[in-house]
Amino acid sequence: MDEREHPWGVYIHIPFCKSKCFYCDFPSYAGRESFMADYVSALVREIERVGALRVEEAGTPATIYIGGGTPSVLPQELLETLLTAVRRIFLEADFPQGERARERAEAGTVEYTMECNPGTVDMEMLKLCRLQGVNRLSFGVQSFDDRMLRRLGRIHTGLEAMRSAHLARIAGFDNISMDLMYGLPEETVDDFRHDLQAMVELSPEHISVYGLQLEMGTAFYKMQENGKLKLPDEETVEAMYDLLVDFLPAKGYGRYEISSFAKAGRESRHNLSYWRDAEYLGLGAAAHSYLGDRRYENTHDILAYIEGIREGESIRRLEEDVTEKAHKEEFCFLALRTTEGIEKAAFARTFGEKLTDVYAGAIADLKKKELLEETETHVRLTPLGMKYGNMAFEAFLL
Amino acid sequence: MAKKNIRNFSIIAHIDHGKSTIADRLIEYTGTLSSREMEAQVLDNMDLERERGITIKAQTVRLAYKGKDGETYELNLIDTPGHVDFTYEVSRSLAACEGALLVVDAAQGVEAQTLANVYMALEHDLEIVPVINKIDLPSADPDRVKQEIEDAIGLDTGNAVLASAKTGVGIEEILDAIVEYIPAPEGDETKPLQALIFDSYFDAYKGVIAHVRVKEGRIEKGMRLKMMATGKVFEVTDVGYFAPTLVDTGHLDVGEVGFVAGSLKDVRDVRVGDTITFADNPAAEPLPGYRGVTPMVYCGLYPVDSADYDNLKDALEKMQINDAALVFEPETSVALGFGFRCGFLGLLHMDVIQERLEREYKLRLITTAPSVIYHVYKTDGTMVKVANPSELPPQTEIEHIEEPYVKATVIVPSDYVGAVMEISQDKRGTFQNMDYLDTNRVMITYHIPLNEIIFDYFDRLKSATRGYASLDYELADYQTSKLVKVDVLLNGDPVDALSTIVHKDRAASRGRQLVSKLKEIIPQQMFEIPIQAAIGSKVIARENVRARRKDVLAKCYGGDITRKRKLLEKQKEGKKRMKAVGSVEVPQEAFMAILKID
Repeated sequence: MDEREHPWGVYIHIPFCKSKCFYCDFPSYAGRESFMADYVSALVREIERVGALRVEEAGTPATIYIGGGTPSVLPQELLETLLTAVRRIFLEADFPQGERARERAEAGTVEYTMECNPGTVDMEMLKLCRLQGVNRLSFGVQSFDDRMLRRLGRIHTGLEAMRSAHLARIAGFDNISMDLMYGLPEETVDDFRHDLQAMVELSPEHISVYGLQLEMGTAFYKMQENGKLKLPDEETVEAMYDLLVDFLPAKGYGRYEISSFAKAGRESRHNLSYWRDAEYLGLGAAAHSYLGDRRYENTHDILAYIEGIREGESIRRLEEDVTEKAHKEEFCFLALRTTEGIEKAAFARTFGEKLTDVYAGAIADLKKKELLEETETHVRLTPLGMKYGNMAFEAFLL
Repeated sequence: MAKKNIRNFSIIAHIDHGKSTIADRLIEYTGTLSSREMEAQVLDNMDLERERGITIKAQTVRLAYKGKDGETYELNLIDTPGHVDFTYEVSRSLAACEGALLVVDAAQGVEAQTLANVYMALEHDLEIVPVINKIDLPSADPDRVKQEIEDAIGLDTGNAVLASAKTGVGIEEILDAIVEYIPAPEGDETKPLQALIFDSYFDAYKGVIAHVRVKEGRIEKGMRLKMMATGKVFEVTDVGYFAPTLVDTGHLDVGEVGFVAGSLKDVRDVRVGDTITFADNPAAEPLPGYRGVTPMVYCGLYPVDSADYDNLKDALEKMQINDAALVFEPETSVALGFGFRCGFLGLLHMDVIQERLEREYKLRLITTAPSVIYHVYKTDGTMVKVANPSELPPQTEIEHIEEPYVKATVIVPSDYVGAVMEISQDKRGTFQNMDYLDTNRVMITYHIPLNEIIFDYFDRLKSATRGYASLDYELADYQTSKLVKVDVLLNGDPVDALSTIVHKDRAASRGRQLVSKLKEIIPQQMFEIPIQAAIGSKVIARENVRARRKDVLAKCYGGDITRKRKLLEKQKEGKKRMKAVGSVEVPQEAFMAILKID
């Protein structure tokens, strides 16, 4: 069952953090440690019920991603409980004879990622992850500059980020991803260059780089409203962007998506599955699922989630019935995020229509604006198109 | 019905003073409709009317009321349009009545528009019954308002009714007052027919339905009738009254109000103000007061998507079926492509038509800034009427230009007289008159260019008087002005649809203001966009819209997809009203920017 026709992914959400970063609008909460134990038992039950059912229907997943929040903030024994359940349901289900998950994960059949905060990593935890089959770690580094990290509300230092990477290597992880941000308060192009340089020196297999976006409800958003956030001007942020898209490829990190760079063959398969219209099952509070043309969303409220699971009530609500129209739109604007672009054959297979028929006008217009290019097999953004992606994405709304 | 038991009346009121609510209460009280039907019929007018709290089309309804004397009366309520744009329609409705209820808000008092309509009613010799409404409000001061009515209008308020349409107080008293004070209609049923048309609309099955008041004679089904102004002859297929749906009775007697239909296809054959008479034995004279429709304000309407041109044409034609006041003709703009120059009675009429086109016909439109009609006298001795600034002849060919002036009447609390004067002077107005309506309220009249009225005059009045000012205006005359055309260039190319005609002394400042407003409105694009204002070849103002540096959502993972799609949809929705002018995406508001500068 390794070569499945429709590979699918699992996302597991851990909504806890030691503290909330100033830019973050993700569903994660600081100071809720007391709910962790109950949360993990609820999560395990959801994995055992919903996850097992899904495996029965669709086989084991191709990718597993434990994100947050901060999964690594869970105490060792809770993490072990969680990882054990994941292994049992999602890795070993196909192997009732008890083939070891680790071997299977090592064979690279399943990409199994866990997010970590560099400030919450220790050897014991890393070993546990390895043992339970996790084969990829994703570190939220954001910057190596301690002053900047404090400005962002991060709990770790630049040195800790480096140390975590080394620890991960020692623990045997050969697939590490690190996140970086730019366009940060008071940041200069040189600051960002230093961060990029420090990053490539650590030589992670994968690097995600995000321009800061001010999201409603975040501390930064408020500060900006009060005029207290000194963000670099548009020209500076643009210079950072230009630097980024030159710098990383020159160091052997191919850009395969707007914000994602990887050494050859180390692209995130889990993330790619989002952009390639694959199905995924989300477990845990605030997790989203995409199954059979429907998007679902689990309750955001940790207590409601725990209670709901305990009482056997549904904690999942239908977010949206993805209509054919919406499906086409999403199919395209998600695929356009990747440098590969939209695969014409995949579009035709999925919708029974030709991409170039459905989007003849949009494609012509965007080509004229030099935002889009077309090959025999694909339609994809040009480098300029990547920079002005929203304009291109919008053109693919029907 | 015997003439002596008929009462024809309308309701005069300022917006928000409760005209519709009173009308609804009268309908309800007389049992003309059950409250369930009320919901379905009375309230189910055009959405726009409800949203804006105004009446656009006249509503007519016959109420049966048993008076205190035990006799049954036929009360015909003609609900008039409540806006200055529709003054002529109001005058025809009033001409169909013998009396009017003057509804005044017990807290707000008399407003300019009310006053204008009251004067009009008095001109038509209507008996006016004052109704002080909203007496349930804590701030109600009926005695002050009565005094104001007496002082401002010279009307005896001895028979005034105190009412609250909201609570139902005074409704029966209103009905009794109508019976008691409003005279019964006169007229001779044996004379040749004279029926006044005061409104019309198009019905898909019956054709044009004319709202009429029979002044002389009688209408029966099967009669051959004639429109005296348009000459259109037709045979009566349906005739009866409004309840408010059509009730076909086969006849309408002298003094009555109702409808006539005769398979008429074109609403332009059925002109408001025209007289219907017998085709074969016509009346010697039509009823007085007919006048053709004269649009006051013109603007360009263009489809955002040029493929919608034919749809827009169809839609305008359909709208015209029901709106004889709407005129349009094809027009071409270099910037906007093919569209129509449309004439309206006023700004509200323009807004309403535009909004209905967008809502009912799902059209996305670009509207250019409204313009008045200029009389341009050329050096060769000819005169051209220019309703589109971009069509102004070259300066060298112009001998002089005349523009329309109006008599503007403003009513404000006396504290704001200074503000009104300042704004009116600034708007090139000439002071004419000032009257104290009472110790606190003042009526000021100015002779002022219509062009300035449509350029935010009322908005400025309202904000300078904290909303207290009310305005009414009527066309006065044409006068010579020193006018020039200011052109706008985007990215170096002139955009004809942004051209505007302004007074010479203000051209430079208007140009600067316009350019800086456009800078706010035009979104950043991938390249820098210079915006210039010019008179002839002379650039008088310049600004730049800086280039957008990058524009891409950094993150999009599993939980984001629906949200991000909605974000893109919103972004797209915003662009729907954008028109690509050359390589520049220009939002719809840009074409109205000239109205938004101060």
